[in-house]
Amino acid sequence: MELPPRSHTDSFAGPPPARGIARVLLAADNVTVDYPGVRALDGVSLQFRAGEIHAVVGENGAGKSTLMKVISGSQWPTQGAVRLEGKPVLFGKPSDALKAGIAMVHQELNLVPTLSVAENVCLGREPAGLLGLRVDRAAQRARAKALLGLLGSELASDQGHGGGVSRIAGELSVAEQQFVEIAKCLASEARVLIFDEPTAVLGEREAQRLLALFRTLRDEGRSVVFISHHLDEVVAVADRVSVLRDGKLVQQFTRGLDEPLRDGAGVVVDEARIASAMVGRELGSIYPAKGAAVADAPVLELVGFGALGRSRGISLAIRPGEIVGIAGLVGSGRTETAEAIVGLRPCVGALRLRGQPAAFANPREALRAGVAYVSEDRKGRGLHVTLPSVANMTLPSLDKHARWGGLALHARGEREVTDRWIRDFAIRCARPDLPISSLSGGNQQKFALARWLEAAPRVLIIDEPTRGVDVGAKGEIYRIIAGLAREGLACIVISSELPELIGLTHRVVVMREGAVAGELGRDALALGDCEERIVRIASGLAEPSATQSGHSQQGAVG
Amino acid sequence: MKSGMKSESPLSAAQRFLERWGVLVAFGLLVVASTLLQGGDFLNPENFRTLLNSNAAIGVLAVGMTLVIVSAGIDLSVGSMVVLSAAIGTTAMNKLLGGGTSEMSAVLLGGAVTVAAGLAAGCVNGALVVYGRIAPFIATLGGLAAFRSMALAIADAGEIRSQSSTLFAKLGRGGIPLAWESGTVDGETVYTGLLNAAGKPLTLTYAIVIFFLVAIVAQWMLSRSRFGRHLVAVGANETAARYAGIAVGWVRFRAYAAMGLLAGLAGLMQSSRMNSVSTSGLGLSNELDAIAAVVIGGTSLRGGFGRVWGTVIGVVILGMITNILTISNVSPYWQGAVKGAVIVLAVLVQRGSRE
Repeated sequence: MELPPRSHTDSFAGPPPARGIARVLLAADNVTVDYPGVRALDGVSLQFRAGEIHAVVGENGAGKSTLMKVISGSQWPTQGAVRLEGKPVLFGKPSDALKAGIAMVHQELNLVPTLSVAENVCLGREPAGLLGLRVDRAAQRARAKALLGLLGSELASDQGHGGGVSRIAGELSVAEQQFVEIAKCLASEARVLIFDEPTAVLGEREAQRLLALFRTLRDEGRSVVFISHHLDEVVAVADRVSVLRDGKLVQQFTRGLDEPLRDGAGVVVDEARIASAMVGRELGSIYPAKGAAVADAPVLELVGFGALGRSRGISLAIRPGEIVGIAGLVGSGRTETAEAIVGLRPCVGALRLRGQPAAFANPREALRAGVAYVSEDRKGRGLHVTLPSVANMTLPSLDKHARWGGLALHARGEREVTDRWIRDFAIRCARPDLPISSLSGGNQQKFALARWLEAAPRVLIIDEPTRGVDVGAKGEIYRIIAGLAREGLACIVISSELPELIGLTHRVVVMREGAVAGELGRDALALGDCEERIVRIASGLAEPSATQSGHSQQGAVG
Repeated sequence: MKSGMKSESPLSAAQRFLERWGVLVAFGLLVVASTLLQGGDFLNPENFRTLLNSNAAIGVLAVGMTLVIVSAGIDLSVGSMVVLSAAIGTTAMNKLLGGGTSEMSAVLLGGAVTVAAGLAAGCVNGALVVYGRIAPFIATLGGLAAFRSMALAIADAGEIRSQSSTLFAKLGRGGIPLAWESGTVDGETVYTGLLNAAGKPLTLTYAIVIFFLVAIVAQWMLSRSRFGRHLVAVGANETAARYAGIAVGWVRFRAYAAMGLLAGLAGLMQSSRMNSVSTSGLGLSNELDAIAAVVIGGTSLRGGFGRVWGTVIGVVILGMITNILTISNVSPYWQGAVKGAVIVLAVLVQRGSRE
């Protein structure tokens, strides 16, 4: 790997890096990909340059993931070619691409669940010890620790035996797994690093670390390619932005050193401009108007509630028509608490449903009582990715279609329901008989939400409702949630995306280390500093006593 | 779409086709091979009847095994459940006959006890797997040893002869005649319909009828019922199934219970056919044949996908292979090796995009 050292500093001194004319490492040349029934990519030509961060954006199904698959060798183009340093290459499989210096972090996590973090990071590149007959485990741990350290992951710190890099991958949270996946990619010392929605499962702080790492990699002369639905990240770090729509490249924006992104005519580009390029029209606010305040009796009450060993002392009352947000860093116990509510985990404290004491042993009992939980982990928990759309859609509400005591299922009814949700949610699904893994991530997310709405719950807990979902679809999901709330659904939205919580919910409960650390009411959410306040409370910087009393408090955090 | 699936390499397209329809291709090839080897003899109905009849009990086991494997489980104890249920049921029948019960009620009650004993053994397996949280392989490996040993203990490792004079054997060997009298010529009765080599009516044995009924019901359950959908969901991703509100444990338990019930039924089919139960030989290594038929039929050993009709063809394929080898004078000792190769080949073809 012979790359010229590149200095990139924030000062204006020194020669400006000629980022615009940097060497092209990898190029997609007029690439077209046809899937059965759909043209996923249509004559796309893109160059990926050394020392450049290249963001690829587009709506769900615009062809981003397909393009990444083509350049990383896991999909053959129908037409066109991939060129590595000018020479056409045809990767038979991803490992060929990896050998050529192209590594990819997939949207779906692909760790070996039974191996340790260190073993996963070094998988296929184990440091050899003793004549190459055994793996040098100490070196392996050290390497994993160093790489995870670059990412600022807590996995790099040793918490005695069985902690840190010795932990088993299958027991990690989704965010931690993502870090391991990224570290694995770094371990390959590839020249082109491709990230498919890398920050989707990360909290705010982790995402910032990753973006900083992108800059470091770029300054080392590598080519960083990433797909993201977080346009703020794109505007913040990308040197070049390519917008895909319906399989075609529709626009490119670039930036010079320490300059903002500009379009071809030199006009400065912001998030809204990118978003409208993605959808091909001007976008209004993606957040619907919040419904009126509700005065009904609470439908669900938590009293000193918590997930055993993960959270405690949470008291919360949710009324029909109310959307309550739960904020907090990854690991603050948000997901675990939600899982405890629907009986997926043992709980402490009390739960009241419409004033009556309730306890659910499993999600089935919870659903019968009208409480549903949409998991943050689409692939592993939220959906059956190997099953077709129909089976996925009707699984939680299968009783609706059962006849003769379940001996027969009403196939046409199932099909109609599925078609209706596909239409209502504008899900791009050409073949409902194919496994749902053939859909893009965002369309899968709509499916995961729709299947629970089909079960008509009274209380819906949605964990990361728009993870990996594009701007247009996000707006749709928000409108759907707000509409359901107006009809009397009580909603709990757990999210790492603060603008989403602020724009969508009536109030936001902030969790920290398994407990409620503060709450922002409707008035507080209308103020400009609310995002900062939430971040401060979540990371323990605020005075809990000043914020806990709630929404009428203003400027409690200074 | 004009360019179709061009982006996929031709090899993987062929592989996908084989994955889906390989069992039918193999069946077709075997029919052609058998016809070439045996000439017209192979294609006559009696030969098919014999093939199905001698594999019907294995077929019933394989159908049950399909359900268990779809749930991402396995049951190694089926052969031992067969012999245990047959031993218990036949003993009960003999006791009843000795006690002066009429032959009809004794045979019926004995049959019911056989099936119930299988169901009970299946429930034990299910309870161990679901509530004891023991891996299916281990739990049913225990059953493989324990159930057979219980059967051996019942008869001192010997044979249990049925005391029923005719009725029990009739159940095992009788059936529905497929031809009827159409008159007499020169004092000889003339039949219309399907005849055997001796010119007598061919019987569709009860065993075959039971096999097909079981297969049809199971195929329906798997693809059209709520239980089947839950089974597929649990097999495909148990965690996601739990999150979707499925009673995962109860679904899996029922798969093992159904397997036990069908093992009891197979036990009844076998013991009545032999009119006795050899506690050391009956059902021996039936689990291998049953699993082989399921795999050949295209059901994924990983769970979450399965088809009973494939298993039925898998059973027939296994039977045809045995037939061909016997006709070709291949030593029975070598037949196991050929079957083994076929199973491995089936798994190889199955592998691929589902990985």
